[in-house]
Amino acid sequence: MAAVAQAVASSKVAVGDTVIQANNLTKAFSESVVALENASFKIKKGDFVSLVGPSGCGKSTLLRLVAGLIKKTSGNLTVHGKEVTEPRADTGMMFQRPILLEWRTSVENVLLPSELLGKVTNEDKRRAMGFLEMVGLKDFEFTFPRQLSGGMQQRVALARLLQTGADILLLDEPFGALDEFTRERLNVELMRIVSQFKTTTLFVTHNIQEAIFLADQVHVMTPRPGRLAKIIDVPFARPREISLQLTPEFNKLVAEVRDVLGGDH
Amino acid sequence: MSAITEGDVTALTDDADSSGQRAWIITKHLILFAVLILLWELAARAGWADPLMFPAPLGIVKQIWFIYVVQQNVWFHLYTTFAEAMAGLFFGSIMGIGLATAAALSLRFREYIKPYIIVIEATPRIAVGPLFIAWLGFGFSSKVALASLVCFFGPFVNTLTGLLNVDDEAEEMFRSMRATKWQTFWGLRVPNSATILMAGLKLGCSSAFGGALVAEFISANQGMGVLMSRYTYTLNMNGAFATLLSITFFAFLLFKIADVIDYYTVYWRSDSLMQAKSKKRKAAFLKAIAQN
Repeated sequence: MAAVAQAVASSKVAVGDTVIQANNLTKAFSESVVALENASFKIKKGDFVSLVGPSGCGKSTLLRLVAGLIKKTSGNLTVHGKEVTEPRADTGMMFQRPILLEWRTSVENVLLPSELLGKVTNEDKRRAMGFLEMVGLKDFEFTFPRQLSGGMQQRVALARLLQTGADILLLDEPFGALDEFTRERLNVELMRIVSQFKTTTLFVTHNIQEAIFLADQVHVMTPRPGRLAKIIDVPFARPREISLQLTPEFNKLVAEVRDVLGGDH
Repeated sequence: MSAITEGDVTALTDDADSSGQRAWIITKHLILFAVLILLWELAARAGWADPLMFPAPLGIVKQIWFIYVVQQNVWFHLYTTFAEAMAGLFFGSIMGIGLATAAALSLRFREYIKPYIIVIEATPRIAVGPLFIAWLGFGFSSKVALASLVCFFGPFVNTLTGLLNVDDEAEEMFRSMRATKWQTFWGLRVPNSATILMAGLKLGCSSAFGGALVAEFISANQGMGVLMSRYTYTLNMNGAFATLLSITFFAFLLFKIADVIDYYTVYWRSDSLMQAKSKKRKAAFLKAIAQN
């Protein structure tokens, strides 16, 4: 497993250096539809950052800009010091739905990123098996997506994300479609995995508790136009227990986020 | 342009009732069928229906025996029509799938061919039959041409729909992994269109027979269409019905073959096929990684 960890965190950047930087980043889909306006922030290597806000606040837009899936309208956005113009090898994305290929088994789905890079080696295959074990899918490596539950499918998607070898993980409400219990469990496992690999993580959610519980830093966003309203540091030590959410300190942060978002939340 | 699907998609799924229940359902259907045939036979014998126009079932069965076993003339005609239909299906679906693939890959090509496709779609294809016969003569090729034209649309529309209707997020995922256009095409679009493409081919199967037969009706000297015309002209209704039933039977057979191919191609719809595949792939995979 150590070899696997090394393979993911192979970037030479030290923890604490800035890996993602945005200055007055703006994305307008048309003159009247401004999805994101003048966002400026720095994200440090190894940080877990939650983007939280209601629909239309530009959080998914921001994530897709960092992924290189859409082009900015103005401003600057750099990842590892280079302007983002297209999808890169050091960023990997996970979506709200698992998007597995139905005709492939779990391990074949996990191997997709390796396959797209070229020939799949036996080393790639062993890594894929290791990732599946890590996300708790040992003995389900050769099962087809239709035979797995929603939570298990999302675990396969997580293993596939790790297989990309990216050290910046972009997660777009990855467990948003799952039931509360599965979601909570997967959140805890996600925290364990990203801290093991020391990846930088951007996590989009509209759930305030989830955003705070997972993150080192919460970026609170407001809609029409999408704006990065406030950046809140989350001081709690890791590893964190679910019971953290019952403490007054935690709820003080929840109140602070709600305050930024206004009365609706 | 919406996809054409056929109704019988559940025919081969695994979740059929238990075999005992199934046997009973089949028995009920057979009993009903037997009663209907018996009523028909009685109606013919009692003179309720004109036996000249509506021959009795027994007479039709006798005629089937006669043309297949005694006289054996039907085999030659059957071969002709079958060959025309198969060749038509082959060329029609190659053209349909080929053009649809090109249209799916290039937006510009798609826009250029669109008006022509709409015009051809609006034309009753069968009406082109006499033209084909004028151009290509009374023989084999004019029949194949009409059969091809008639079964072109099912595969074309369905392939195009299947290749274009890909989940946006799946495409985004491929892009985020920096897949090339071809990798996305082969890895996502093609397998994604398998189900609907097979439905298009199944439609093509039945239309191919129709096309070949109509071309034979218009002008030919061999084939099931010719045989049927001859029997009806001479008011040999037993013969006409026997021919019609033969055509139905063989078209159905072809459709069922396509159904089986569909079932095995799109294996991820069936639990038992997935289980078998799992086992096989597991063995191969573990063997590969054990070898270093």
